[in-house]
Amino acid sequence: MLNGFKSPGRIVLIGAESDIGLSIIAQLPKTSSPEVILVGRSGEYALDVTDNTARKKIVEKLFAIGDIDLVIIAVGLLGTDPTMNEADNLVAAMEVNYVGTVHILKLISDRMKSQAHGTILVISSFAQNRPRDDNFGYGSTKAGMDFYARGLAAKLKGTGVTIKILRPGFVESKMTEGMAIPPMTISTDECGRYGAVAIRSKKLVTWAPSQLKYVALIFKVLPLTIFRKITQR
Amino acid sequence: MRIIENQLTSGWGNNFHSLATRISTVSVEEAREALSFANHERGLLPVGLHRSYGDSALNSGGALIDVVGLDQISIDPESALAIVGGGVTIAHLEKAALVHSLFPPVVPGTGYVTMGGAVAADIHGKSHHKTGSFSSCVKRIRILLANGEIADYTPADSEFWTTVGGLGLTGIILEIEIALRRVNSGSVDVSEQRVDNFGQMLELLGTSDRDYEHTVAWIDLSGDYRGRGVVSLANYGSHKEKVNSNHSSKLSLPRVGGKNLIKPITVKAFNEIWFRKPLKKGAVPLTKYMHPLDGINKWNRIYGDKGFLQYQFVVDVGREEIFEHLFAGLRSLKASSFLGVLKKFGVASQAPMSFPRPGWTLTLDYSITVPGLEKFLREFDQELIAAGGRVYLIKDSRLDSQLVPIMYPGFIPWREERRAMDRHHLWQSDQARRLQLC
Repeated sequence: MLNGFKSPGRIVLIGAESDIGLSIIAQLPKTSSPEVILVGRSGEYALDVTDNTARKKIVEKLFAIGDIDLVIIAVGLLGTDPTMNEADNLVAAMEVNYVGTVHILKLISDRMKSQAHGTILVISSFAQNRPRDDNFGYGSTKAGMDFYARGLAAKLKGTGVTIKILRPGFVESKMTEGMAIPPMTISTDECGRYGAVAIRSKKLVTWAPSQLKYVALIFKVLPLTIFRKITQR
Repeated sequence: MRIIENQLTSGWGNNFHSLATRISTVSVEEAREALSFANHERGLLPVGLHRSYGDSALNSGGALIDVVGLDQISIDPESALAIVGGGVTIAHLEKAALVHSLFPPVVPGTGYVTMGGAVAADIHGKSHHKTGSFSSCVKRIRILLANGEIADYTPADSEFWTTVGGLGLTGIILEIEIALRRVNSGSVDVSEQRVDNFGQMLELLGTSDRDYEHTVAWIDLSGDYRGRGVVSLANYGSHKEKVNSNHSSKLSLPRVGGKNLIKPITVKAFNEIWFRKPLKKGAVPLTKYMHPLDGINKWNRIYGDKGFLQYQFVVDVGREEIFEHLFAGLRSLKASSFLGVLKKFGVASQAPMSFPRPGWTLTLDYSITVPGLEKFLREFDQELIAAGGRVYLIKDSRLDSQLVPIMYPGFIPWREERRAMDRHHLWQSDQARRLQLC
């Protein structure tokens, strides 16, 4: 349960291997000492995000402990595994970023609805803004998830459950090692700070960094030829 | 029976907002019928007027059984015994009792507390050093148990003491039998004295307890935090006179844009005026004296929409050094409280979860927006434990669950007894979840 200062008593991170997810938890206000449960590929709370039954089981197991105040869903694949061909990479990214994430989001929000309180933070991406030559496959998985999260957030009004969306731009992390660094890149720590702000924000969407909101607006209205020219690297 | 689904409810501190189904009952039959509305996961919780500050009377996702409708009172002037419904308020009982020159021996700072709530929190008042807590005048409780049975318990039964201070987690208190005391008049003889520092305050409160039935001190916790204040001492009026029990409040604080008006500067100004106000001497109407907080309706709005918390603790006599640490810490946070109340408790009741026990009790109000307050109170809890003290759960909204068994040594056996009275985990509250009480 939240305490009277709105500090969570129990937090779950789905994606224990995610630098961004861990960083968000590290950046939460240090005023209380919540129980933090990490769901990762191994450990007591192990989950294969691509397994439908496993997803249901883990959500049951988590809520059997008691009320959960905050769930951060930070699973994601860029879909750039060099050992796989493009089509398989695409399927893998879809399974984790869309199918897995949306399913978990739905399952958790249902459980939170019965406890009549709770916050879920999902990590979307700047890439969902407009299809770009170099990452529209990944972008489409994030766009689909983002779309669902916005719909669900609206539907959950009045239930005590809130959904927050974090849309980072380029974040230096394990996922981006060896990639060229574009402008407005932020560190994992900075991204964690934006995530911690997003959780307490009244707004549905938080951009990281916040100026990306305006870049996204401009990118959306640019004629396609100019947009492609700017974004080609 | 009236049912409102998905109603948003707050405690008196307005720092929690919880959605639950509210079932309002006006009879024992309805209360019994309401048990069937329990959602097996989130359970039920009996509630009154929501004067508990935090989340004691909230049950997110579950149901609240509002028993304010159980408001019958019958008083036998001969035996001075009253049989009252669980929804009867202290103010209501006082009014009915004064007609017979009787009065409840233990009343809290507000009259808007139901009998059920008074038992569930084992409330105390300015008379604690003489009378003990509320349970000391309760002769019998009638309770609706989770299995639908109705049971009468007296102080000879262990279930009685599990229910006293049991935060509503043992059943619905339908009725209580209470021993009233005789009073000669509807007033108290008050003597107020200004003290310039905390040492003087402790001294005066400590030495006055023998001669006065009611003792309490208002302490100025702003400015230099040296602990100046006003000590209020009173005895029941001795002169026969016409009893006037009509002192209902008329003022109501409006919502001022949801803003918190409690700032160091406003508190300092208010406390300066309060410290300098003319001291009371002589007769004051009983109910007005007992319930100074009821002078303004909805005074909790003064803290704005974000709400506030009340922190009340008790610490043994001889551990007064803890106050210095507290005042120094609050001073460095620039945390100003306009409600600071100090009182010396008398003997404890035998209920394991009852808060009062011999020692000093201090009560403070703070906006939850005071920067650093949450961390500071967590650290102070540790000092409090080291000094053998504890906090009052009916006012709590931020304690660590691990500290409950340390502060309340009878907690573990109490929890076993409670479970025996509620095998299917019907009674639940947000506080019980937060502090793992069930």
